[in-house]
Amino acid sequence: MTTESVSVTIDGLSVSVPKGTSIIEAAKHAGVLVPHYCYHPSLPSPAVCRMCLVEIEKFPKLVPACVTPIVEGQVIHVHSPAAIKAREGVLEFLLINHPLDCPVCDQAGECELQDFVFQEGQAASRYGDYPKRYNPVEDFGPDILYVANRCILCTRCVRFMDHVAEEPVLNVSERGDRAYIGIDPSATLDHEWAGNVVDLCPVGSLVSKDFLHKARAWDLDKHASICPGCTQGCNITVDTRDDVVVRLRPRANLEVNRHFICDTGRRDYRWMNRGDRVDAPVVADAAGRRTVAWPAALTHVAETVANASGSVVVLSGGRASVESIGWVLRLVDGANATAAMHVPLGEERAIGAVPNLALRRERAANLAGAEMLGMTADWATAVHAASSAAVVIVLDAELTDDEAAAVARAKSVLHFATVADPRLGASAILPITTMVEEQGVYVNRDGRAQRFLPAKPAPGMAWPAWRIAAEAWALGAEGREAPGTASAAFTALEPFAGLTHRDLGFTGRVVAGAGVSA
Amino acid sequence: MAIGVKVMERPTGDVSYIRATLKGMALTFKHMFQARVTLQYPEVRSSDDWRIATRWRGTHRMLTDEQGRSKCVACGLCPQICPANCIKLVPGEDEAGNRYPLIYEIDEFRCVFCGYCQEVCPEEAIHVGVHYENAEYSRDRFVYDLERLSAQVHPVSTLWDPTDPRGE
Repeated sequence: MTTESVSVTIDGLSVSVPKGTSIIEAAKHAGVLVPHYCYHPSLPSPAVCRMCLVEIEKFPKLVPACVTPIVEGQVIHVHSPAAIKAREGVLEFLLINHPLDCPVCDQAGECELQDFVFQEGQAASRYGDYPKRYNPVEDFGPDILYVANRCILCTRCVRFMDHVAEEPVLNVSERGDRAYIGIDPSATLDHEWAGNVVDLCPVGSLVSKDFLHKARAWDLDKHASICPGCTQGCNITVDTRDDVVVRLRPRANLEVNRHFICDTGRRDYRWMNRGDRVDAPVVADAAGRRTVAWPAALTHVAETVANASGSVVVLSGGRASVESIGWVLRLVDGANATAAMHVPLGEERAIGAVPNLALRRERAANLAGAEMLGMTADWATAVHAASSAAVVIVLDAELTDDEAAAVARAKSVLHFATVADPRLGASAILPITTMVEEQGVYVNRDGRAQRFLPAKPAPGMAWPAWRIAAEAWALGAEGREAPGTASAAFTALEPFAGLTHRDLGFTGRVVAGAGVSA
Repeated sequence: MAIGVKVMERPTGDVSYIRATLKGMALTFKHMFQARVTLQYPEVRSSDDWRIATRWRGTHRMLTDEQGRSKCVACGLCPQICPANCIKLVPGEDEAGNRYPLIYEIDEFRCVFCGYCQEVCPEEAIHVGVHYENAEYSRDRFVYDLERLSAQVHPVSTLWDPTDPRGE
C-alpha cells in the first residue's frame, strides 16, 4: 500500500505530507508551531481548547487545526490577523480566572500558557479587579496534587486516564466557568503510569509532590538518557540542578515509550545522588591495603586476570552499559569465564492502550545487551561458580549477604564499584561511574540499541567500567590499544561492529541478533 | 675653561611669588565670609541642600508582611537575573503549603548594586536600600542572610523611573 501524499501551503511554505494528516501535524513538518493546549500526539483530540484555530482560504470560518485533516491544495494561514485575533480571545478567557501564581508555580518557565500569552496574548487584562474563581488544592494521589485554580480544562489528563491508561478515574465536573477536573471519590490517582498526567498538563495544575518547589524550570540542565529501570528501555530526560538529579521525565520516542514513563522509573533517581561513592582505586595485596593511582590499579587488575589459575566469574548489575560488559568480558577473554547479570524480577505493569509498552518483569535495563555479549541471566549458577573461582569480577552488582559470602570465598575479587562493599574482601576496589555519569548504550528487549548521555560529573577519580577494563586489557599483551572514547569502545564490540554512537541517534536503532530469553 | 651661561632677562613683575601668594590669600579670606558647604560627616549626615538620592542603590533590604514574615516567595527570579551571581536561594514549603525561602543570602561583596533584583521581584520583597554605611569587622558579615535583610530599616531605593527620567 502506498501512502498518498497531499501538498498544502502553510504560512507560505508548501509541504507534502501523507493523506489524513491533521493540519497541526502538517504545520510541524513546515516548521510552524500552531499554539495548542488540548492536542497531544499520543492522545485523542477533542478540539476543546480552541487554541489551534487557523484560517484556511475559501473556508467560511476558522477551523481547529488538531482535528481537521488536510486536503490537497489548501492554503492555510496560522498567523493571519483573523487567527491571531481568535487566539487572543481564547487566551483572554483562559486568563480571566487564572491566578497570578507564576512566582510560586512549579510549571513557570515551561508553561504553555505563559509561552503563548507571551507570544500572542494581550498586554493588559480588561477585567480589572473582579475576584477570581477559587477552589482549594486537591490531593489526587500518592504523587499528584491538583491545583484547580490554574487549570485551563484542556482535559489531557482525563483523556490520558480514559484512553491510554484505561483507568477512567478523572472527569470534568460541573460545567461552564465552574468546571474543574474531578476524581472518582473512591479512587486515587495511583495507577502505575498516572505520573504522566503531570507531564501532559500544559500548565501547573497537576504538579508532582516529589518535585514540588524543588527547582525552577530555568535552573534545570536537561540530559537525554535511557531509563535504567527495566528491559523496556524508555527514553528519558534527566533533569539536574547544580549536578544533583532532581527529576526524570519521559522523552518522546514513538517506537519505544511514546511520551510516557511509568512511576517506578520516574521515582527511581535517588540512587543517582548517593554521597557514599568510592572515589579512588583501592588495592589490597601483600603490601597491605592502600589507595593507589590508576596505573598501579590497572597493573594489579591485569596481573590478577593474567595469573588466574582456574575459572573466572563476572557478576554484573543490571545497569551496566554494553561497553562496560563487552570490555570486562574481553578483559577476561580466553579464561574459563562464567558471566551473569543480576536481574531483579518484579510485577509486569502495562500501560493499557499502548501496545508493547509496560513496566517489565525483568528490572535490568541492559539484559538484552548483556545476552548479545555472552552473558546470561542465570545468576544463581554464576554465584555458585563464584565461590570456587580464581577471579571474580563484580561489576556494580548488589549482592545479598549469602551471595557476598559466596563471592568472598573466591581466590581474588575485583570489585568495579560505585559503592564499596566490605563483605567481598576485594583485592581491588575500582571506582566506576554510574549510567548518569557516563556515555553508553543499552539494548532493550526489542533489540533496540539506545544511547544515554552523562548528566553529572563523576565523583573523584571514577572511570567508566569499560575504560578500566580496556586499559587493563591493553596491559595484558604487546600491541593492544585501548579505545579512547565510549563510541570507539562500542564500535569495537563484535555484535555492534561498524556502528558508532552517532549512528544510533537519539531514538536508537534496532540491532540484529538481539532478543531476551528470560 | 669657563662655561658660557646665558642669563635670561626675567620679567620680575610677572614671575614674583608675592603676587600669587596674595591672590591665593585673597581667595581664602573671601571664603571665610561665604556660607559653609562642607558637611560635618558623621555628625551631620544630610542638610537642606544635600541628601542622598532616593534612587541610590545600596545594601539590600527584604520587606516583610504584617506578621513579620518576609514577603519573598522564593520564585527564583532574583538569583536568575543577578549579573554578579551573588544571591543564594533555597526554596521550601511551610505548614500552610506556601512557598518561602529556606535560605536567602546575598553576598554584598559580590553584588554590583545594579538593582535588577528589586526590579524583577514580583512580590516587591527584595529591595536595594538608600544606605551606604556598611563597615564591619569581618568579611563574613557581608553575606547578609534572610534575618539580617529583613531587619534592615533604611529606606528602599525608588530606582530609576522611566516616566520621570531625571528624577524630578
